[in-house]
Amino acid sequence: MNTHDVTVLGYLVVLLAGVVLQLLATRTRAPIPPLGKVFAWAMSTRTRRIGVLVAWAWVGLHFFAR
Amino acid sequence: MTGGPGDGGPAEPPARDQAATGGPPGDGRPPATGRLPTIGEPPAGEDAGPGHGATALAAGRAGPGQVATALTGLREPVVVILLLIAFFTWISGKPLDGVLMLVVGVSLAADAARQARHGGPPESRPAGSGPQDSAAAPATAGRRRSLALALLAGGCLYVLVVGSFSRYSWPATVPVVALGTVVVVTGWRGPRHSRPAPVKLPAIGLALWGLVLVAGCLWELSALLGQPTLTTSSYAHPTISTLTDPVLSTWAGRSIVLAGWLGLGWFLVER
Repeated sequence: MNTHDVTVLGYLVVLLAGVVLQLLATRTRAPIPPLGKVFAWAMSTRTRRIGVLVAWAWVGLHFFAR
Repeated sequence: MTGGPGDGGPAEPPARDQAATGGPPGDGRPPATGRLPTIGEPPAGEDAGPGHGATALAAGRAGPGQVATALTGLREPVVVILLLIAFFTWISGKPLDGVLMLVVGVSLAADAARQARHGGPPESRPAGSGPQDSAAAPATAGRRRSLALALLAGGCLYVLVVGSFSRYSWPATVPVVALGTVVVVTGWRGPRHSRPAPVKLPAIGLALWGLVLVAGCLWELSALLGQPTLTTSSYAHPTISTLTDPVLSTWAGRSIVLAGWLGLGWFLVER
């Protein structure tokens, strides 16, 4: 396993962790909110809402804009 | 992320009133006709709209304790994160992204500082006060459906046209920057829909989600720093951008990713 594989594996682990958290949130009674509720919470104040929307805009800029 | 001066709860009063009058929350009255606005009170008819950040910046220049007030805005974690993103984006060869992040971060800091100075939270419409709450008449349902269809058609056209342009070209840059700006400005004005007060989420759960997010960011950062230079991609230490290059090199790939980006944006705006 080379460094490329390790790096990709790291991304997959993070992604898997997110999936596991979502499953725990929706399938069990663990004190974990589902991602939709986390976003609703994040969008409930201006500061956080702008932070989330800017992060979204940044993704588009990063992948498409010069 | 909680408890800061800019973290208004749902039960807090609307800031748009506050921003417009400089007065107490809920005091949305314009200045009386025939008298000049006083300090901290905008001219009659002025509202907190898309120019709200500029108003905040202007307000931040007046009054005593300017430095302390400006630093108040930096207590917001979101502001610090935006400024860090601006810095790292700039040094990784994307100055336009960096400047945009910087503008939003500074505007948000000024807004938070202004809110702290006036002692009010920066939240806008509370649940139940929006015009859409009383507009639940069946007559509007058809119009909403037509609007949704128009937006869907516009979105499809957007992803097909913008996806046809090569990445990092000006024809691709302009519509992406334009849409991002429109969405952020819309978010600045307030939520599109009034909604019930969100329940308090368990701190442990929020911390776990935050941990996943931070871990992903740090892993991406470590890959970025593992490159030969910040602007040269590396096979050994691929960033997410490097990994998605093959997909984004085709029209179909770009259109699909753009569709996902648009869908996520719509999902967020509707929260």
